[in-house]
Amino acid sequence: MSDKQTIKHRGAKGEFHFAYDDLHQPADDGVDMKIHQELIVFIIWAISFVALSVALPNFFTEGNLISLLRSVSVLGILAIGMAIVVIGRGIDLAMVATMAVSVAGAIVLLQQGYSIPVALLAGFVFAVLVGTVSGILIAYVEIPALFATLAMGLFIYGVGRFGFFNQDIVLIPPEGGSLSWLGAGRVFGIPVSILFLLLFAGLVALFLRYARIGRFIHAIGDNPSTARITGLPVRKLYVLSYILSSTIAYCAGIITATGVGSMNTRIVNSTMLYDVILVVVIGGISLSGGKGGVRNVLVGTLLIGTLLNAMTIMDIQYTVQNVIKSMILLIAIIVDSLLNPRDEQTAQQGDI
Amino acid sequence: MTDILELKNVTKDYRGVYAVKSVDFTLKKGEIHALLGENGAGKSTLTKIIAGAVAPSSGEMLIDGAPTSFAAPKDALAAGIVMVYQENSLVPALTVAQNIYVGRERFYNRLRGINIAAQQLMQSLNFNVDPTATVATLGAAQKQMVEIARAVSQNARVVIFDEPTATLTPEEKHHFFGLMRRLKQSGVAIIFISHALEEALNYADRITVLRDGEMVTNGRTDAFDRDSIIRAMVGRTLSKDIYGTAAEERSIRKPGKKVLSVSNLSMANLVKSNSFSVFGGQVTGIFGLIGSGRTETAKIIAGVLKRDFFHGGEVHFHDQSVRYITPQPAVRDGIVYVTEDRKLEGFFEAMSIGENIGMGDQAINGGPLSVYSMVRVRRLAGEWIKSLNIRAINEDAKVIELSGGNQQKVVIAKSLVQHPKLIIFDEPTRGVDVGAIVEIHNFINSLADAGLAVVVISSYLPEILAISDRVLVMRNGRIVEEFDGETTTEEKIMYAAVH
Repeated sequence: MSDKQTIKHRGAKGEFHFAYDDLHQPADDGVDMKIHQELIVFIIWAISFVALSVALPNFFTEGNLISLLRSVSVLGILAIGMAIVVIGRGIDLAMVATMAVSVAGAIVLLQQGYSIPVALLAGFVFAVLVGTVSGILIAYVEIPALFATLAMGLFIYGVGRFGFFNQDIVLIPPEGGSLSWLGAGRVFGIPVSILFLLLFAGLVALFLRYARIGRFIHAIGDNPSTARITGLPVRKLYVLSYILSSTIAYCAGIITATGVGSMNTRIVNSTMLYDVILVVVIGGISLSGGKGGVRNVLVGTLLIGTLLNAMTIMDIQYTVQNVIKSMILLIAIIVDSLLNPRDEQTAQQGDI
Repeated sequence: MTDILELKNVTKDYRGVYAVKSVDFTLKKGEIHALLGENGAGKSTLTKIIAGAVAPSSGEMLIDGAPTSFAAPKDALAAGIVMVYQENSLVPALTVAQNIYVGRERFYNRLRGINIAAQQLMQSLNFNVDPTATVATLGAAQKQMVEIARAVSQNARVVIFDEPTATLTPEEKHHFFGLMRRLKQSGVAIIFISHALEEALNYADRITVLRDGEMVTNGRTDAFDRDSIIRAMVGRTLSKDIYGTAAEERSIRKPGKKVLSVSNLSMANLVKSNSFSVFGGQVTGIFGLIGSGRTETAKIIAGVLKRDFFHGGEVHFHDQSVRYITPQPAVRDGIVYVTEDRKLEGFFEAMSIGENIGMGDQAINGGPLSVYSMVRVRRLAGEWIKSLNIRAINEDAKVIELSGGNQQKVVIAKSLVQHPKLIIFDEPTRGVDVGAIVEIHNFINSLADAGLAVVVISSYLPEILAISDRVLVMRNGRIVEEFDGETTTEEKIMYAAVH
């Protein structure tokens, strides 16, 4: 008999209790759902790949497939960097600006006669600095990531355009010619940039899955308050994640610039940033943090790369391509919010 | 006097568990009616039923003798029932007049028009508030006046105040009750919920006491005194069954070494000059009503919150003065806090049981470059799942899919894996099923037996009595009384906790 009475007691004590249970409909979202989204995207990719191979005569050729992969390798690397930040429940809107300005700065040093290692190191240090400042603004000053990185991107582009270089396109001088292997070289016929994509994918996948710090980034994205109470260095981890995204952006920029012999800083004003977010979200990394990994980025990269390539082959106007991309991004974000609803209780004000 | 409102046999249950059970309640025209009871006694649910915010599961509500049911608060509003919630619902950026008429503006809203109307309203109530002042610039008492004026402007016949005096200074309280009397004279019936018994005894015409969702007693105020109310609030016979036996069987543990000593701890107006000590090898229970600053005190000790920078007091842990600005150093020193709100800050919902426990371990073990060892995590998870009897298919189950009791055990395991010397449980059995309550209590006892300093914060008296060797009572941001766990009674503790 005591059981029955106790139930009544607890009930009287806690509407809380029941509100809890109502929220906790045995939820098999989380990983299961996420795998679903990843799988759905993969299947869509496979179907469109087969369909395009049949429909477009120039699509399924060795040359085109390699150019497809090469065209998305930089996008993929950027998306891997972005994924680290998004898993930690942030976003880095300064990535493309960091990439353009740090690389352009390095090239300017080359033009002025500094040696290759010095120039590359200077660009790297600049990228680390940008990530550190963004991270400090977000973690310690507690500015929402969206605004902090947006402002940071505008700021460094302005500084770069004003102080480092005065043309939009910064050409790599002949002394830097040996670098062109990074962007345009081939190993066994495979472009080096694709190998770099795979290298970054492998390293970051290992980091996120098996490094203590990598697991911590999942934890702060999952629930920052819990992470704090558990004794994780939440603020330092935020800063670290922005440093990682900035340095990965720098590496992607080096590959871009060496591939074409110049850095076109106008990409800061292009849709590239949105393509990066598109890849991250469409692969199934939730903007609410804590979920997903490198596999999701690769799946997203494949799909977007294939679509972009096919649209180019079909000679679809650039502006129309943007309409199609933006539609896909919108749908992906809506599907994300349906599959990974952000819980009101754990939602933090200010971030995305 | 006639009954303006009558509840007959009203029940509200959540899936068979009663928040309010078969309550009869009457409210007469022009009376002040105090509704008293412990935290969770059902006062809020009952008033929400009256205000149309919660629909009763069964029972009848009569207004002026006619059966009524409200689908939404706006129906209750139309019937003249207004509820003033504890956190005031005014828009800080708008003026007093705008706040009074917010939501009821005409299509063309003339500020001058509402200012004049508000001015007249304020004068008729004899309130001294400038209608053109911005609400953000007002004090707590003046805000309360605006709330009341708004209620009156909606032609309220019944006004319900939920803990109206909790945020007021003594002077403001005095003023507030003056307002309440004036409202009463104009024929409005008033229900007020309060933890302060003196207020009820001094100002109410009638008193109703709720306990565990049931109406225990009601009557005219002169039939009550402080002692009889407290007895009515806590007088349980039922709870002895599961908590009482456990309490009688055990013996009180003697205090060990002094582990924590807190002196003059202060934070804003939530914790005021709080001083106490915690000893190893025993369970120190902290009882207090909601808002007494228990959680805040615990969180300051564990580094989750920061005490006041100036005159914030001292915390000594193992005779070392400590001042944590984040929980990380506190956890490393051996102080862990098990939260009262596990979903908000207790566990990682997208992670498995094993990973949650692993996070606790990794937080204190390993350097910046170390590898997250799956083998270690699996071993730890296996051990803790076994020793805490966490029921799940395996350690890969998501925490969010578990029952409340098992979730709580995961949170406890995540904290214990950090080898604490002082562990603070905040409402350890909130939202936990009956079987798990007993298990968690046994577990807390075994921790104290093993020599740990254990603090249990609870607002549920039987729980405090069942597991505490020493009971500290908090009121208004400080420890006001200390009891020996063996000899104290629910009445004594409650007497100290209410004001």
